[in-house]
Amino acid sequence: MFEINELILKKAKELGFGDVVVLAYEQNRRQVRFANNEITVAKNWHTQKVNLFVEYQKRLASTTLTALDEKTIEKTLQMLMKSVKNLAPKEDYYGIAEGPFEYKDIPETFDKAIVGLDEPNEYVEAAINAALEEGAKRTAGVLYTDHNKLYLTTSNGVEAFDEGTGIEISIRAFIGDEESGHGTNSVRVLKKFDPESAGRKAGEIAKMAVNPVQGEAGTFDVIFDPLAFANLMSYMSFMASAFAVEAGFSFLVGKLGQKVANDIVTIKDVGNMPNAYGTRKFDDEGVPTRETTIIENGTLNTYLLNTSFARKYKRETTANAGLLMPEAWNVYVEPGDYSKEELFSEVKRGIYITNVWYTRFQNYVTGDFSTIPRDGAFLIENGEIVKPIRNIRVSDNFQHILESIAALGKDLYHIHWWEVATPVFTPYVLVKDVGITKATK
Amino acid sequence: MHELVEFAVEKAQELGASYAEARFEEKNGTEIVMKNGNPEGLGILADRGIGIRVLVNGGMGFASTNVLTKESVEEAVKKAVKLAKAAAKLRNKPIQFSEEDFHQVFYEVKMKKDFRDVSAEEKMEYLKLIEERVKETGVNVPMRFLRYGDFMWHKIFMNNEGALVESLIPRVSVTYNLVVFEEGQMEQAPFIQRAFSGGLELIEKDKPWEWAVKDVKALQKLIKEGQKPPEGKVDVVISPEVAGIAVHESVGHPYELDRIMGREAAQAGESFVKPEMLGERIGSEAVTVIEDPTIPNSWGFYLYDDEGVKARPRYLIREGIINEFLMNREYAAYLGMKSNAAARAINYNREPIVRMANTYLAPGDYSFEELIEDVKLGVYMVSFNEWNIDDRRYQQRYIGREAYLIENGEIKHPVRRPILEITTKGLWSSVDAVGKEVEFYPGTCGKGEPGQGVPVWMGGAHARLRDVVLRR
Repeated sequence: MFEINELILKKAKELGFGDVVVLAYEQNRRQVRFANNEITVAKNWHTQKVNLFVEYQKRLASTTLTALDEKTIEKTLQMLMKSVKNLAPKEDYYGIAEGPFEYKDIPETFDKAIVGLDEPNEYVEAAINAALEEGAKRTAGVLYTDHNKLYLTTSNGVEAFDEGTGIEISIRAFIGDEESGHGTNSVRVLKKFDPESAGRKAGEIAKMAVNPVQGEAGTFDVIFDPLAFANLMSYMSFMASAFAVEAGFSFLVGKLGQKVANDIVTIKDVGNMPNAYGTRKFDDEGVPTRETTIIENGTLNTYLLNTSFARKYKRETTANAGLLMPEAWNVYVEPGDYSKEELFSEVKRGIYITNVWYTRFQNYVTGDFSTIPRDGAFLIENGEIVKPIRNIRVSDNFQHILESIAALGKDLYHIHWWEVATPVFTPYVLVKDVGITKATK
Repeated sequence: MHELVEFAVEKAQELGASYAEARFEEKNGTEIVMKNGNPEGLGILADRGIGIRVLVNGGMGFASTNVLTKESVEEAVKKAVKLAKAAAKLRNKPIQFSEEDFHQVFYEVKMKKDFRDVSAEEKMEYLKLIEERVKETGVNVPMRFLRYGDFMWHKIFMNNEGALVESLIPRVSVTYNLVVFEEGQMEQAPFIQRAFSGGLELIEKDKPWEWAVKDVKALQKLIKEGQKPPEGKVDVVISPEVAGIAVHESVGHPYELDRIMGREAAQAGESFVKPEMLGERIGSEAVTVIEDPTIPNSWGFYLYDDEGVKARPRYLIREGIINEFLMNREYAAYLGMKSNAAARAINYNREPIVRMANTYLAPGDYSFEELIEDVKLGVYMVSFNEWNIDDRRYQQRYIGREAYLIENGEIKHPVRRPILEITTKGLWSSVDAVGKEVEFYPGTCGKGEPGQGVPVWMGGAHARLRDVVLRR
């Protein structure tokens, strides 16, 4: 693919473009979806495409090319030039990174065994059976295998290649209509894949959730399961992007250097983490990915930046390009030192929430939001789970949640599924005084 | 391209598929983003490819490719057949499709002002107009995210049962997010979209810049004059916009038959509705909810679905009674029924699944004044921000953005963030009167894995809810 990248770069420069980024993908993705303990559909996607970003005197344009012949390339570049020429410039554009860079191999991001895997259905069966053994009556979920190749060429001397694999499963187990649990497992190398653990967790929670009673509204200490907390952190990752901050989609607006969380909270983005689903060797400008501390001991340290935003704010890029919109790779919540049991023993009267979905904001800048517990939720009294509850809603404020984190578990879990698009590493988290509401009538 | 589509269907049958369909899709368009007055960039959308779906031994396989050669398509067909065979082994019951009448048709939505003939610079003017008009109000709006988008959506669908449907549907939209900051307080109207199937004349007629002005003025007024809403049991009049989100979330979604049958359980969730609930009362006699893909120029417009079935209006609730589910061929067959053309896919690389199009609360015979006049104490909820609903689509919450107190039949001062948190049956049973005029609002409906955000309209007439609990 590098020949095509080179050709596009050459033609773009000939036309007079300044900064040019050519990011080519070759993707093979396989999916097995299942419901009611049987496969509903199996899919395969084969994609070859080039994401193209060009700049002409601070005027920016981008497109995706799927036909990669010389004629289409020329036609597309000419159209881009014609379109941007008369546009007003983006005055706060400050360019892309100066390459070349050196890249290190990141362990556990590629596995030939996944590339050669003929038939993944046995892993689906293993997860379903594990959930059924725990007492579930029916299951639904999805399994993916991934094989991606990434070729990056820029006008600033970058030529970089990355190849990665992955396999993951997300499974939800049900006993009745309202008794359910959820488990996930996402890895980059086959020998670490454990679909049974996902099935077992889903089944265990579903079984614990039998015969739930209506939950009460009020203020409660809440233990968020990693699955539930990862959902909130996935939103947090978007809000940490400098683009989201400028566009008014973030409660972190104007808070650099300020306390936004309890002292015990440190949240990072780690782009080069081994065996993590979002890991890549380089960002979209070719800068080697790295660890960036977003919140350090409760204080907002930085937004996620690309080169242009970094120059605008007189900082260094955090290697999170996205050229228009910096984005997180893997969100990482620093663990604490509580075992799961110790965390529960901290709670006199509270709620254990195993999963949430449908997080929506009343106001992004203030951070007011609500989210709905899904799957088992449980009342805790004196450190013990006493009964399953249903039909409640977390209605609170994002910063208040971060400020009220009272304890963090010591084990981290890697969460990536339909509701958590940006992978998150998080422990069990205890948050004090969380607003809980319920529907009336 | 027709030959390649036909080749895929024939090849799949040769390889043992009892059912085969191929769908070519091509999208060409433009996106322009402006943030705080700065043009962020121009995006050119040029995407095309082919998706093949087959049934073999009762298992379903799907494969897609964007390399449009015979070899690559053949490879995709082979993969789909192989995947279907393997999937069949992990099934209790073979998948079957309902019997349908198929057609060979071509249809297109005509543009009076064709966006393909208009320069990016000229399209940028729509966004500049929002910037200017908002500035002219004198309201302080420090954060402004604006987006213009258009694309021509070309599809060719063919199956081995005689369907051949080709369509050309242009879509245009303007989206904005505006943050109003006045007197040390901040209010936000996030992601407001105006969107249609058709040409630029629809944007020009709709004037999104006037909507934006209305929004920022309402938010300024809310900051300056907003008071606490009443609490406890009151009457609530919901606008077409709020009625729209409510019918979409609590009627459209739970009536999707694939969800009812558990296929979406791991992602978009399940439903409190069961097949045997057809004919049961769920709301008052004033409530009729219609789902209609065929509304001209609607954001959710189509005349044939992505299984080649002819579309028609669907009455989900008729005078308070559950009347019809949304179905595709697979799930219609489970109930021994015919599909009502709800199968949609967002792109060539997605399978068609049961989706909404344009869902609305059908009009009644009350004027707006009549709805308000005998409300002693209540709230008129014009627009909403935060909303969500559980995965069985039973408990939902809508928080008013622009909202006003109603006292003794008159609309008074704005109220801040009235919270309606209610069950589906509670909501629709409380409606005692519905207005005469229907309005629609665009949205992107999320479902499926991988996600498929499909264009939809949501709307309806004003509706009056009696004695519902409102919170602050």
